Amino acid sequence: MTAHQATIPETALSRKPSHRARRRRPANRAKRRSSFLTVVMWLCVVYFMVPLIWLFMSSTKDNSDLFTTFGLWFGPDFNLFQNIVEVFAYKDGIYLRWTLNTILYAGVSAIGATLLATMAGYAFAKYTFPGNKLLFSVTLGAIMIPLTALAIPTYLLFSSMGITNTPWSVILPSLVSPFSVFLMRVYAADAVPISLLEAGRVDGAGEFRIFWQVALRLLAPGMVTVMLFTLVATWNNYLLPLIMLNSGDLLPLTVGLAQLQATSAAGGGAQALFSTVITGAFLSIIPLIIAFLYLQRFWQTGLATGGVKG
Amino acid sequence: MRHGARKAAVAITSITTVVAMTLSGCSSDADTGTTTEPTGSTDGRITDEQRLEALTTPTNLTFWTWVPGVEDQVALFEAAYPAISVTVENVGQGLDHYSKVRTASQAGSGAPDVVQLEQQFVTSFAVTGELLDLTPYGATDLADDYVPWVWNQVVANGQVLAIPQDSGPLGNLYREDILAAAGVTEPPATWADYKTAAELVRANTDSYISNMAPGQGAGWVGLLWQAGVKPFGYDGGEGVTINVNGADAKEVVSYWQDLIQNDLVSVDADFTDEWYQGLNQGKYAGWLTAAWAPVFLSGAAADTSGLWRAAPLPQWDVNNPSSGNWGGSVNAVLKASENPIAAYELAKWINHAQEPALLFATQQNFFPTKISVLEDPVFAAQEPEFYGGQRVNEVFAGISETVDTEWEWLPFMEFAYTSFNETFGAAVAAKGDLSAGLDAWQADLEEYATQQGFTVNG
Repeated sequence: MTAHQATIPETALSRKPSHRARRRRPANRAKRRSSFLTVVMWLCVVYFMVPLIWLFMSSTKDNSDLFTTFGLWFGPDFNLFQNIVEVFAYKDGIYLRWTLNTILYAGVSAIGATLLATMAGYAFAKYTFPGNKLLFSVTLGAIMIPLTALAIPTYLLFSSMGITNTPWSVILPSLVSPFSVFLMRVYAADAVPISLLEAGRVDGAGEFRIFWQVALRLLAPGMVTVMLFTLVATWNNYLLPLIMLNSGDLLPLTVGLAQLQATSAAGGGAQALFSTVITGAFLSIIPLIIAFLYLQRFWQTGLATGGVKG
Repeated sequence: MRHGARKAAVAITSITTVVAMTLSGCSSDADTGTTTEPTGSTDGRITDEQRLEALTTPTNLTFWTWVPGVEDQVALFEAAYPAISVTVENVGQGLDHYSKVRTASQAGSGAPDVVQLEQQFVTSFAVTGELLDLTPYGATDLADDYVPWVWNQVVANGQVLAIPQDSGPLGNLYREDILAAAGVTEPPATWADYKTAAELVRANTDSYISNMAPGQGAGWVGLLWQAGVKPFGYDGGEGVTINVNGADAKEVVSYWQDLIQNDLVSVDADFTDEWYQGLNQGKYAGWLTAAWAPVFLSGAAADTSGLWRAAPLPQWDVNNPSSGNWGGSVNAVLKASENPIAAYELAKWINHAQEPALLFATQQNFFPTKISVLEDPVFAAQEPEFYGGQRVNEVFAGISETVDTEWEWLPFMEFAYTSFNETFGAAVAAKGDLSAGLDAWQADLEEYATQQGFTVNG
C-alpha cells in the first residue's frame, strides 16, 4: 500500500501517466455541451424533484384538499402554517420529541461511526500487523450482509443484555459501518503520505499524536463524506428503531411518522391525520437538505477520491 | 489476499447460517402446539384473596396497543386500582405489531403483559403458545355479556384466550345522491338487485357502485362469511380444515367476477391516495364495509358530508338475512406476563366495566361487542350529520345480530393473507379468473399447512 504516495486528489490526477491522458477525449470535445447528457440530467432532476414538490405542495393543503386537488400545485387554501401548528401540537408536541431523538441518534451515530471508521481505516492503510488482510476481508464481507438480516439477531442479543427500548439499542449498531471503514482505508492510503508519518516518528511523536495531529487533518474531507453517509443512514433508518424501541417517547421521526400514518388508516378508531403526516414528513427532511447544501463541497471531494481509487 | 478472502468467505457463510437459524427460530413453530407449561395458577380458579392481593400490590403493567387515546381508559383503570400503574406503548400496527409481539415473546424479556390482537389472529397466537388461558381467572363468567358470535371468536377448546373489544360486522355504506341520480331509490336488498343497481349507476353516472380492493383479504373473507361459507377450521391440535375453493365459495366469487369483468365495480387498491380521492370525488358510490368504517369515512371524505347512508349488505336469501365480519380486536394476556392476575383485570376491566367500554364506543368510535353498550342510548341514538342524521349505529347493531356465529380461523392467518394477495388478490387485480384464484390459494394454504406439521382435513 505504500505505493500510493499522492497527498491530495488533485495532485494524484496530475501525476497520472501520460498514456492515460492520451486516451482521454480532446479538450475541445470535452468542453462541448452534450445535448443528450443535458436531457438525461434534466430527466433525473425531474425524477428526483417531483416527489419533493409534491410533498411541499401537499403540506400546504388540508385533509379534504389533499384528495380533491391536483397534487403538484397549491390547493384553494394555503394551510402550511396551520398544518405546522398541528404537527407540533399533536399529542402535546411529541413531534418535537421525535425530532430531538432523531438528532440525538443520528448525531451521536454519525460522529461515533466517523471516528471509529477513520481510526480503523487509517490503521488498515498505514500499519502492517498480523491479520491485517484477513480482518479487512471480513470488513469487506460485512458490507455484503444487509442490516435488515442482522436486525433480529441484534434484537435477541440486546434483549439478553437488557438494553432494548433504550437509545443505546439504536446508537450502538449504527456506530459500526463497514462501508465507511472501507472508504476511509482507501482515502487514508492516498491522502496520508507515509513520509509524513516517518517524519513524525523521527521527531519523536507517538503514534496517537501522529494520528490526531497529522493524519486527522489530511483525512478531514474523507471524514465529512463518511459522516454524511452515516448521518443520512441513521436519520432515515426505520427498521432498527422499529424493532428495538417500544416507548413513544424514544421513537425517531421515521417510526413516529409511520405510526401517525397507520393511525390515519387504522379503520376502527382512525383519525384523519393525513395533512399532519405529510407536513411532518416535509419538515423532517429540511435538516437533511441543509446538511447537504452546507457540506456539499466536502461530499464531492470525498466521493471523487473514492472513485479514483475504488 | 486470496487466502484471506477465502477465510472471510467462510466466516461470512457461518454468520449467515447463524442469522438464518435465528430467523427461523423466530417464526411461528407451529409444531410446539399449545402444550407449553402453564404458569402454575391454572390448577384451580384464582381465589378472591389472590385477586385482592394482586390488585393491591404495587405493580407495573405494560400494554401494547395501537388504539389512539386508549390512555383514557387506562387512566380510569388506574383510578379504580391505584396500586397498579400501566405503561401504554404503541409498537406499530397490524403485521409490524404482531412480529414485535412474537419477537419479544421469544426473546424472553421485554414482552408486554397485555396486547391488542385482531380477532382473526387470536388462533394464530394461541397455536404458538403465547396467550394465557383466562378461564382460571373467571373469564367464562363474562360470556353472556357479549354478542354471541364475538364471544365465539375468543374461545377455543374450552379456553378463553382474550377479552373482546370491538368488532366490524359488514354493511353497505352508499352515496344516496349518486344512487338517486342513477334511478336507484332503495338500497339493494339482494345481490341480484345490487347487480341491477350497479348497471344503472354505470349507465347513468360517472361512478362505480363500489370498489372491491384486491388486497383486502379480511374484507373478501367477510363476504364469504356472509354467504355461509366455512373455508377455515382448526381443532386446537394438529388438524386444520381448509376449504376456500368449495362450491359455495366459488358461487360467491363468480358473482363478483361477473361484476368485475363487466366493469360494474372498480378494483383499486384501498387506503391509497387514489382510493381516498375516489371516495372524495364520487368515483365510488358505495363501500361494502365494516361497522368501524362510518366514522372513518366521515374523517377521510369530509367534503361529502350529508350524502352518505348506511344499509345492511345485500342478501343471498332475503328471508334469512346474514352478515360477516371484517376487523375488530381483542385484548389478550401473554403467558410471559409476570403479573397475570393484574394483567387479566386490566384486559377485562377496560372492555367490561361500563364506563371505559362505553368510552370506546363514543370516543374511539369502536363498534361495541358488549351487549349493554350496544343498547346504550348514548351510543345507539347518535345521529351523525355525515349520514344525514341517520342512526347508523342502530343499523349496524341490527346487522351484528345476523352475523353467523360458527366461524373459525386458521392458526396461521399471517401467511394466509400474504398468500391471498399473491393468488386470489392478484386474480381480482387482473380482472381474471377468480375461481382459479381460489384454487391457487387453496393449494398454497394446504402446502404451507403440511410444511408446518398440520394435518389437512377436507
